[in-house]
Order: sequence, then C-alpha cells, then structure tokens
Amino acid sequence: MTGSSKFLMGRVRGAVVVAALCMGLLGAACSRQDRPEVTLRFWNGFTGPDGRPMQQLVKEFNRENPDIRIIMQRMDWYTYYNKLFVAGIGGRAPEVFIIHASNIPRFIHADFLRPMDDLLEKEMGLDPKDFFPQAWNAAGDGGKQYGIPLDISIHGMYYNKSLFRAAGIVDATGEPRPPRNQKEFMEALRKLTLDRDGDGDMDQWGFVFTNTRNNLLVLMVQFGGMFFDRDNRQCLLNSEGNVRALTWCRDLIHREKLVPSPENFIAWLGFRQGNVAMAFEGIYMLADLQKQTDLDFGVAPIPTIGEQPATLASSHIVCLRRDLKNPELQAASRFARFLTDRSLDWAAAGQVPARLSLLQSDRFRSMEAQATFAQQLDHVFYEPNQPFNNQFDTEFNEAVEKALRNSETPQAALDRAVANTQRAVRRHYDLWDQAKNASSEKSSGL
Amino acid sequence: MNTRQNQFQRYSGWIFVLPFLILFAAFLLTPLLYGLALSFFNWEMLSPAPTQFIGWGNFHEALHSDRFWTSTLATARFVLMATPATVGIALALALGINTIQGRRQAFYRASYFLPGLLSISVAGLLWTWFYNGEFGLFNAYLEKVGIKIPWLTSTSWAMKSIVIMSLWWCLGGATIILLAGRQQISQSLYEAASMDGAGALRSLWHITIPQMRPVLLFVTVTNIIGSFQVFGQTYIITRGGPEDSTRVLVQYIYETAFLHYRMGYGSAMCWLLFAFIAFFSVIQFMAMKERR
Repeated sequence: MTGSSKFLMGRVRGAVVVAALCMGLLGAACSRQDRPEVTLRFWNGFTGPDGRPMQQLVKEFNRENPDIRIIMQRMDWYTYYNKLFVAGIGGRAPEVFIIHASNIPRFIHADFLRPMDDLLEKEMGLDPKDFFPQAWNAAGDGGKQYGIPLDISIHGMYYNKSLFRAAGIVDATGEPRPPRNQKEFMEALRKLTLDRDGDGDMDQWGFVFTNTRNNLLVLMVQFGGMFFDRDNRQCLLNSEGNVRALTWCRDLIHREKLVPSPENFIAWLGFRQGNVAMAFEGIYMLADLQKQTDLDFGVAPIPTIGEQPATLASSHIVCLRRDLKNPELQAASRFARFLTDRSLDWAAAGQVPARLSLLQSDRFRSMEAQATFAQQLDHVFYEPNQPFNNQFDTEFNEAVEKALRNSETPQAALDRAVANTQRAVRRHYDLWDQAKNASSEKSSGL
Repeated sequence: MNTRQNQFQRYSGWIFVLPFLILFAAFLLTPLLYGLALSFFNWEMLSPAPTQFIGWGNFHEALHSDRFWTSTLATARFVLMATPATVGIALALALGINTIQGRRQAFYRASYFLPGLLSISVAGLLWTWFYNGEFGLFNAYLEKVGIKIPWLTSTSWAMKSIVIMSLWWCLGGATIILLAGRQQISQSLYEAASMDGAGALRSLWHITIPQMRPVLLFVTVTNIIGSFQVFGQTYIITRGGPEDSTRVLVQYIYETAFLHYRMGYGSAMCWLLFAFIAFFSVIQFMAMKERR
C-alpha cells in the first residue's frame, strides 16, 4: 500500500466512524424525543429538607410513567410566589405547581387556577371524603375545588428532653412530661429558665418565640380571638381574645421576665443549640432536627394556654394552570393523583398526610413524631386566607412587634392594625365591585 | 468614493454601539418608561378590575403616607452613616495598603475584596446569627467581658448594625478603586514636597486628596446611589424591624409591589426614589466642581 492510499483509507475509516457516531447520536436524540409524549413543568418552594423527598417522588413518577416527563423547579417561597405571579400574568405559568392553602383565594381572584371538579372522579379517581375536611375546604371556593391538598402542616411543641429531666419535670416512669395547660406551662417555664452564673442574664430559656406571627396566631385562637368576620369585610384583630393573648405574651417578657424579647428566627437556633427548653414550631422543622444526633428532643401537642385547645395548620396544595388542555391536562391529573397516593412517603420527611385513609394506616402510626402532631387534628385552624392576606400580615406583624416590645399597649397596637387593614379591605372590595360593574357593562353592551 | 468612505466613517460608530443600544432599549429604557407610565395608573396585579388612570394619585398617596416617610428617613439614616464611613475607611485602607509592597499587598487587596464576593443571602444569614442577642456569636464573646449589645433588638442599634455589616461586605470594592487612584499619583510630587519639608499629613492634604478628587467623587457618588438602594441587608437581617427602624425605602417598594401587588403605587415610589438619588448626585457633582 502506498503512502497516499494509506492516507486515503485512513480518511475513509475516519469518515465512517464520524458518520456512525452521528447516526448514533441522531438515533439517541430521536428515541429520547420519542419517549415522553408530554413534558410538564412542576414548580414548588421545597428548598429545605423537604426538597429531597419531593425530588425522589418526581424521579419515581418519571420512571413509572415513561410517556410523561416532569421537570421540577424549586425556589424559596418568597421568590417563588413573585415568579409564579409574573409567569402567570405573562401566560407562562408552569402546568403543575404547589401553593399554600392561605394563598388559594388570591390565586383564584387572579384567575390562575383550573377548577378540578370535572377531573376528581374521572381523571384522578379521588374521593373528596377521603381528605381531611379543613384541608380539602381550604383548596375550594364558591363550590369549586381548585387543588388537591398534599399534607397538613401542623404546629406543635418541640421540647428538649435532657433539660426537662435536669429540671425534674418527669412523670412516674422518669420520662420527661411536657406541659398540657397554662399552669403546667408556667411551672415548667419557671424551672427551665435559668441564670446559672447569677450575672442577671439568662443562660437557659424555658421558652422562646421562634416565629412571632405563627406563635401569636395560635395563642390568639386559644384565647378565643378571631381575625375576620364571616363575610371577610371586617377585620377583628382587636377583638377581646386577641388582646388578652397579646397581653399575656407581653407580660411573659416584661413582667415575668421568663421569655426573651422576640428577635428573629435565629431563636430556633437556640433550641437546636440546647439553650432553649420549649418552642412552638411547624412540623416542617422535624426533618432537620431528626438529623441532629446531639439533641434529645421530643414533640407534643401545644399546651392549652388559653381557654380552648388550638393549633395552626396549613396545607401544600397541588394546583393546575387555568388554561391546561389535553394531553397536558391528563398527564397533570395523573401526576397529582400520584403525589397524593404517595403522600406517606412525603409524610416520612416530616408531614402529616391529608388523606384520611393514609392517616389511619399502620405506616403512619409508626411515624411517632408525625403521629403526635396529628393528635391535634381535632382542633387545628387554618391561617387567615383572605385575598388581602399579605396586607393583614404586615399590619399584624407590626402590631405584635410593638406590643411585645412594650412600646405600645396591645389594645392600641391592634386597633391601629385594624384601621390600616380595613383600608386594604376597602380598596380590595372597591376594585372588585369595579371589575363586576365593568364586566356587567360589557355583557349588557353585547 | 471619498464621500462613501466619509459616510461610512460617520455612521460606523453607530454600528459598534448598536448591539448595546438594542439591549439597553429592550431591558432598561423600555421597562423604565413602562414603570413611569405605570406610576400614573391604579394597577393591582391580583385584581380583576381594569387598570385605571389616576394622574398624580400614586405620588400624592406616597407623599402623604407615614410609612413612605418613615422608610425614607430610615434610608437617609443609612446613607448618612454608611457613605462617609465607607469612603473614609476605604481611603484609609487604600493608603495603608499602598505602603505595603509585593505579594503582601495582593494578599491584603484580596482579603478586603473577598466578603463582597458572597451573595447577600449568605452574608445576611451569617450576620443574622452573629448579631442574635441571646444565641449569636458576637454576644457570646462579649458576654465574657460583661458586655451585651442589643444589636438588632434596639431601635438605636439596629441601623448601626446594618451599617457595620454593610461595611464588611462592601468596603473591598471602594478600597480597590481608591488604591488604583492613589497609585496613579506621580511619585515626583511627593519627592518635591518632601524636599520642601512637607510631612506626611501635609502631603496627604495637599497632594493625595486633591489628586484623588475625581476618584473620590466617583466612589462617593456611586456609594450614595448604592446606599439609597440598600435592601438585601435589611430585608434578610431585620425584615425592617425593630419597629420599622430599618425598613428602608426599597423594602417598602418591594413589599408594596410584590407582596401587596400594588404595581402603580410601587412604580410611583421608585420614581420618587430616583428623584432623591438624582438630586443628591447633582449636588455632589456641583460641590466637587466648585471646589475644583
């Protein structure tokens, strides 16, 4: 073989290899393109410890359903809601997304959500009676169902077992005995709040406010407080029960000096460091705590500080985009059904499932901490969910902060919050009436 | 031929800047003008009500709102504390680093610049923990010598704490720019001054500061603009508390537009903020020009 023919053969061989590679790549691309018939975007805010189990569920769904491809995108809840709204307004909202129960009315008013009533039985095979009623109702409005509740995020009490044992707050068997009512709570607080070196500064706190908004919502309802009237036209934040709850909390800080002035969420770090004996927090904190091996903690129902037991709850709701059509609609329905069917796997990461049949399962009962949180299901209340909820939150937080810092009386702080909230309420209904008038004028013109 | 060449030369500049101009118009100018138009409308993003032209209504509401003025005052406090501190400390650091030679200078330059590479979320969360009164890092050490500072719980301390954190985070950039400015000054000026018997302080006052005036003007103006736009630090560390003492204007705008979804009102406040920044920048330029 001459040099030139060798060279030629080499070029031919090279060309064949390149062609084969190209064919292979083309084939692979085609087969990948052929496989999933439908691709759905699934957005949520599970960026904490809850992100991994959700990612796992998505992977399993993709594996079990080769004709559907779910692409999950996570971002923190604050950024998430802004992006979701902007995407919705721009007509680019994801096909499936998660929102909190308290946000449902706002999304309904913005016309972002697809009612699911026609899908529940036919496409999803779901029975509404199999869901925890408050969670189910939280995802509905005006007789229509706008989402499927995935879980019930309940608030409970976390307590440090070692500190309880050291303070001698134990039962007959020597096990730590978490308080159940105001009297026991105060007794525990006095024993657990310690100034070990006598310098006037506490070295250990019996209780801290880790999230003043959520903590106060719970206590206000326990004291018989209400937030809005039945028609959602009048804010009742300055009602007698709410004032009493806020006064009780203020006195705990400034008169009894048993609780530090609330600062920020870092107070939760105090519990994790072992410097705080009790905190009221959501079940979503469980997954992280369970990984912390040097903290001997327990969970219990929130003690009844006021006249009635009550705890705060919310739900993650699976929602669909308003304009979804087949085949995306069918695929999204299948995915929503899959998520609710597998909500015990989701619960294992620190949630209570919203399906009653799963709540009664042996597997859920074996999840000790989650089952303890679920003991409070009889007296949970869902957080206020008016379309003007964010404005209410702003006023609520400011009033609570001023009262707990003792720079304003609870009554005065709550009165001002009501006056400001009412402005937002009026603006909301004025605009709502304008919209109704505009649409009726339009239809009469037609 | 000559005419064609001349014409080409005349317009060739536009061809070079065209890609930038397109991007500038699409992503900056259009949203800016859209925002300006929006500020004259009542548009609540979540409301099904039609958008309504209300003239100066949003501006009127802002100028008569207690919250707007509280947050403007909080912003002004931040600007007044942060800008002189940043420029002053950065100048001192730049002059100090300039006296160090070789690799050690590079080490110091990098050390001061590094915190600025952290995102505000990371830096903010870190400092939230550092500052916590009961369970934070700073008080854990300070308590050993009998001191406890209410970093974030006192209305008089909270903004100072935000300024300290901002200095740690932002000082590097200003230091590097001022150092570059100092290194541009010819050594012969100092040699001449030294021969005339000028000491270090006189050299600083009569050579370094006047020679660095353009750089100082640049750093001061950009710092004032940046300080007026402060948001991340206060939003992450204090959320505007305690008692609104750190609720700055950008946070109030953010809450109005993206939590309460009042886009028209939010846009109007953005333009008021723009007016404040423009006003102070022009004053700054004029003051520096007069001195020159």
